[in-house]
Amino acid sequence: MAEINPQDTEIVDFAIREHRSLWLDAWRRLIANKIAMLGLFVVALFILTASLSHFFWKYDPKSDLDYSSKLFAPNLVVTEDAPAVHIFGTDKLGRDIFRRVVHGGWNSLRVGLVSVSISLAIGGLMGLLAGFFESIDMNFWERVTLMGLLGLGLGSLSAWIAAQFFQIFLFSGLGIFSVVFQRWKAGKKVRILAFAVMGMLLGGVSGLLVGPLVGLVCGFLGLGVGMILARPLGGKLFSDVTMRIMDVILSFPSYLLAIAIVAFLGPGLEKGMIAIGVVGIPVYARLARSAVLSVSQKEYVLAAQAVGESHGRILFKHIVPNILSPIIVQSTMGLANAILSAAALGFLGLGAIPPEPEWGAMLGDSYKYLSSGAWWAVLFPGLAIMLSVLGFNLLGDGLRDALDPKMRI
Amino acid sequence: MEPLLSINNLKTRFHTEDGIVKAVNGVSYSMKVGEVLGVVGESGCGKSVHALSIMRLIQIPPGEIESGEIWFDGRDLLKLDNNDMRHVRGRDIAMVFQDPMSSLNPVYTVGFQICEALMLHKKMNKNEARHRAVELLTLVGIPEAKRRLDNYPHQFSGGMRQRAMIAMALSCEPKLLIADEPTTALDVTIQAQIINLVVKLQEELGMAVMWITHDLGIVAEMAHTINVMYAGYIIERGNVRDIYKRTLHPYTFGLLGSLPVIDEAPGTKLISIPGLPPDLIDLPKGCPFYVRCTYRVDQCKFELPPLMESESSQHTVACWRWQEIDGKGTK
Repeated sequence: MAEINPQDTEIVDFAIREHRSLWLDAWRRLIANKIAMLGLFVVALFILTASLSHFFWKYDPKSDLDYSSKLFAPNLVVTEDAPAVHIFGTDKLGRDIFRRVVHGGWNSLRVGLVSVSISLAIGGLMGLLAGFFESIDMNFWERVTLMGLLGLGLGSLSAWIAAQFFQIFLFSGLGIFSVVFQRWKAGKKVRILAFAVMGMLLGGVSGLLVGPLVGLVCGFLGLGVGMILARPLGGKLFSDVTMRIMDVILSFPSYLLAIAIVAFLGPGLEKGMIAIGVVGIPVYARLARSAVLSVSQKEYVLAAQAVGESHGRILFKHIVPNILSPIIVQSTMGLANAILSAAALGFLGLGAIPPEPEWGAMLGDSYKYLSSGAWWAVLFPGLAIMLSVLGFNLLGDGLRDALDPKMRI
Repeated sequence: MEPLLSINNLKTRFHTEDGIVKAVNGVSYSMKVGEVLGVVGESGCGKSVHALSIMRLIQIPPGEIESGEIWFDGRDLLKLDNNDMRHVRGRDIAMVFQDPMSSLNPVYTVGFQICEALMLHKKMNKNEARHRAVELLTLVGIPEAKRRLDNYPHQFSGGMRQRAMIAMALSCEPKLLIADEPTTALDVTIQAQIINLVVKLQEELGMAVMWITHDLGIVAEMAHTINVMYAGYIIERGNVRDIYKRTLHPYTFGLLGSLPVIDEAPGTKLISIPGLPPDLIDLPKGCPFYVRCTYRVDQCKFELPPLMESESSQHTVACWRWQEIDGKGTK
């Protein structure tokens, strides 16, 4: 009988699958989901037509009018009555609706991306910091950085307000107030000074963006702010203050707040983007904070600390990647929401300025002609809004299932 | 010989809404180089909190290390600044946690997480770190370590994850390994494997190990010295033989009695210690074990027994009546 030589036997490792990353896994789950693929298809179509038409099919809304072809019904062939093909018909100024819908897509895409970026950048960062500082005690330099960030925010805010309304006196008064009533604690003076100087520098720099005088004022304002907040500020306080500000924003009905901001800034697509972005901030802040709070309780964060990793590394290497999936999902849904809000603003005449093609504005222009039978002028922009929002929502749902297979709501 | 770790009157508190939770109440002891120390006690007796205090991983607030000194390698850890402390963690003192399912980050490969510590403390480059990680995984008994390196935690079983955690902890050759109930979440056969692994590695690498558990059976096999903790106090400390053969504290006596014995007649009830541990917010003035103790006298109610030397200086006990209990605890 032949002896079995261990070297001869081949090791069959059926237990080890090819390794693949979580993202690849998620992608496979997404592809397997037919509804999500439908959403992805609609979104891809929307992005492609919008961007291709913007770059390769120039459109000048100002010169596009032709009173001789007012409110033509959709026609696919040239007839005596309709000298040109308008597959979606024409509107009250004789403009081709198909063309305007396609070019309006570019505006909607821009609004969606810019406003979600604004909400995500500000809200996400604030939520991230709030959650992180609430769960982990800060060291000296982290506090200095945090104070700097706050100083920068408050400094630029005040600079902006000052440039708008010359309310310098109010704010410098506030600064003096804060200096006078600062409780000086023994041994903490150096720290207070550091914060104050930091706040002054940052406030000053941000103020200088507006004007030298304002910069000076804001510098002193930053000094004051740094002093108020220099006291041993627990991360909880930062978190509380941030989240209460978010609650205040959330307590306004979102459209009302957006309208108020647009009314304040003036009409225009860019202003609309800012308004929609600001309204979206608290959603991301809350989401990021709660995700950070739950992830930071995980043992791997403690283990990372036990290995001796720094706070910054823990935050960006261990916490951020683990909170990405809800944020990706929310951003996708947020795009749909932003498109809808932009349309609502446009419908009310607060978004895009008239000749500019924008779906909501097109609806607002044409609904009066519904009674005279011009259904096409309303139907197609409406469909465009509906389809793009539906596409993003389906994709968002699919992403949620794909990224977080355990959580199904 | 200079002890590796010397803790002096360590007190850790948590400020909660209900009051101040006195989790660790003046713990003092020392550990020699290469010593295996078992820390035992029931849930909430301050085992883990005192270990986290050594690592300074107590969350402040609500936690606070009220007083004490933790001398490690000639330095008081409580006086180090955060940055220096960061370098102690992982490099000099490493820790393995209870739940291997959640102590690895799901978004990174196992290899990446092991390499991270190496690149951080040993300043290795990526290739060197990977090479070392393969060695470490092989050392802790993971087959085909080279291929396993690129696996994600979810592709590892519980026992393998705990091995990976141990590999991570050992990566920088720490002088002290703190194992906080590392086998609680594992089944019995895997438990035995992990214990044997740690014992073997401890002998090979000559590091000191602090093994925190509520299972007296585990530490009996591996520890040199045992600290029995109750309500944040060390109530008995001695070498393994003394603790098991000459039990001096009624609580330890009760703990030993509550272990199941394999050759006992079926139907025999396990002895349990009556009552509950005291509320850590409102600790009694006297002995914390007073209400549950069968040996109690009035002195116990009013005077807190200090940790006193018994028949040898190595075996200390915090009980007024240890001389009467001496010998009765043998089983």
